[in-house]
Amino acid sequence: MTDNNPFQRPVSRRTLLQGSAGLAVAAALGGTVPAKAADAKKVIIGAFADGGLTPFKDKIIPLAKSQGFDITFLEDEYGVTLEKWFADAQNKAGQYDLYLLDDPWVPQFGAADVLEDLGAAGIDGSNSDWIGPLIDMGYWPPRQGPRVKGFETATPTLVTVPFVGDLQTLTYRNDVYTDGAPATWDDVIAKGKAGVAAGKIKYPVVFRGVTGNPIVTSWYPVFLSFGGEFFDDKWNVTFNNDKGKAAAEFFVGTMKQNAPPGVVEFDSDQEGAAILGGDAGAIIQYSGNAIKSDDPAQTKVPGKLDFGVVPKQEKAIAQLGIFIAGVPKSAPNKQNSIDFLKWYTSPDTQAKLAEAGSIPVTRSGFAVKDPGNRLIPVALKQLDAGALPRPRMPDWAKVEELLGNELNKALQAGSGGGAALDAAAKSVTAYLTQAGYYS
Amino acid sequence: MTASALPIRRERLQGAGLDAALPYLLLAPAVLIVLAVLIYPLYDGLRASTAFYRYGRPLRDVGLGNYLKLWSDPEFLNSLWVTVSFVTLSVAIETVLGLLLALFCAREFRGIRLLRTVLIIPMVITPVVVAIVFRLIYASDAGMLTAFSEALGGQPVQILGNPLTAFSGLVALDVWEWTPLLFLIILAGLQSLPVEPFEAARVDGAGAWRTFIDHTLPMLRPVLAVAIVLRTIDAFGTFDQVFVLTGGGPGQSTLLLSIFGYNTAFKFQETGYAAALFVTMGVLVLALALAAVRLLRRVEAT
Repeated sequence: MTDNNPFQRPVSRRTLLQGSAGLAVAAALGGTVPAKAADAKKVIIGAFADGGLTPFKDKIIPLAKSQGFDITFLEDEYGVTLEKWFADAQNKAGQYDLYLLDDPWVPQFGAADVLEDLGAAGIDGSNSDWIGPLIDMGYWPPRQGPRVKGFETATPTLVTVPFVGDLQTLTYRNDVYTDGAPATWDDVIAKGKAGVAAGKIKYPVVFRGVTGNPIVTSWYPVFLSFGGEFFDDKWNVTFNNDKGKAAAEFFVGTMKQNAPPGVVEFDSDQEGAAILGGDAGAIIQYSGNAIKSDDPAQTKVPGKLDFGVVPKQEKAIAQLGIFIAGVPKSAPNKQNSIDFLKWYTSPDTQAKLAEAGSIPVTRSGFAVKDPGNRLIPVALKQLDAGALPRPRMPDWAKVEELLGNELNKALQAGSGGGAALDAAAKSVTAYLTQAGYYS
Repeated sequence: MTASALPIRRERLQGAGLDAALPYLLLAPAVLIVLAVLIYPLYDGLRASTAFYRYGRPLRDVGLGNYLKLWSDPEFLNSLWVTVSFVTLSVAIETVLGLLLALFCAREFRGIRLLRTVLIIPMVITPVVVAIVFRLIYASDAGMLTAFSEALGGQPVQILGNPLTAFSGLVALDVWEWTPLLFLIILAGLQSLPVEPFEAARVDGAGAWRTFIDHTLPMLRPVLAVAIVLRTIDAFGTFDQVFVLTGGGPGQSTLLLSIFGYNTAFKFQETGYAAALFVTMGVLVLALALAAVRLLRRVEAT
């Protein structure tokens, strides 16, 4: 050790004053940063990973931040979010301020009484700017249609509000379907086969075949277009009537024969790869995947994919599958979430959402001059043509699982769609019976 | 306090029973923790298994109704069958392969240490990662097997879309991941065997096969039994790989009890029924373990 060791130098008065001044400035600067953060309205949003939220993430979150919201956006894989959030809400864990739910989950959360009454919090569900079928999905118990036991006389409460107006539309190859979107399923197959023969594509269609939610989601628009109905107004199973069976036979037979050979194990990543990679001629899908068609980084056939209304047999009805926002009663920043939702559903923000490329949930949102992508006007056409939500019941996940298993088995076999629906009807009825639907 | 007062105070405390209570006081924190994290959840699980739940809440007591329902539920019976088949097949293959590898690696030759290290790598990889890797191998659209097949002029290989091949693919994954565990335990057992019987056999002119049947296998039986029991119990709880690779499909061909129970509890919110399922599963595994321990004792006795 030498005399030059700075730690052994005597501290002069000047050094002491300089150090004190420096500390004071640092403390003052440091104090201003947390003060600014404390002013912002913190909102922790939980979402499942889906391309349908990309415009919201890219454009609306920065906009929200500029409006004084401090957004934390937590994403999870779809398959685990329902149980994770339900446990959070039920155990009052308070990990989230806002859930961006898949709409079939609303009855489960609503029946468990774990979500805030957003109507009482000042969000007006009767505002005519809402798109009717979308705001209807926010109520529990539902304002229309059959109700489950225990909720027959309950007053419908707005427990969630539509967030992104997602629904299925058709994406097709414009060099194969040269006259525009194929209007019927027969067109899809016939012109698709011609496209295969011409070497433009490998398969006319592609869809999801994985058991459970994926296969049911792919089959549902076919089922609806054949005129199928899932339940009657007393929850009796009707999906295995003649129309339903015809749809199932078409799906596991004709559609499988005209799809990639491994379609039984296909989920959204594989079906997306088939259409974006140029192998498939047509697909029914949600907007999150559809908008990838215009992204040159994601498609090998840029400019060759167009959008249209889903094909019909009797009707051209698609499945509604919107993102819908609910505030858990255990939310740590409840008022901030409600303020955020009011801001988000305002006409100005909905216009910004449409300009960002997302399907809005209000009519005024569709009226923007320059929507962010060309899917948005097609989505409006599909809404006009017909779009239905899945049955509003808390046990939809189980029903979907039971039906999906049977459809998947028939798809493996390549036949027996009608018998699969009969088997599914039997197990669904048994399940709903023990759950008290018919007593 | 003066020094002379201390012994008097200590005597008073001893009189009050401090010495007798001290061991219990020292044990109390550990006992409380065990009660909180083991006994109470077990009790709560048993209590839940006798209730009917709706919307995440217990509605009414059903006694043993959930347990009885299990044995008439085709989904449960199917899952039980799939699980037993999976465990039996996987553990049998892993044991044979583990034994063969251990016999090979018990010898000393150049590079043997590196080989032993390489062989245990699959076991240390996170099961979810293993499942993702196998998914990339099996996928019929862009998987490695399909790429090989198409390069050779063949068709896409479909493993996960067919019940039999999906089940076999799952067994193959488990074998790849857990054979190293059996290998490691058996290798340790082989290296601890006495050398004298083997030298005597060699002097008597016994061949490799005769030595293996008459000496190695009988002496290795206790080690094999422990390895098989451990692996069997572990295999009953397999979850991650199936969840990622097949999700229980196609159909319900790979729906193990663990996946069925998870879906029942968390996806469908049938908490009481799921609790009964897991209690039943626990009892089955416990019975299996007890039977195995008895078998082990008999093996050791002979």
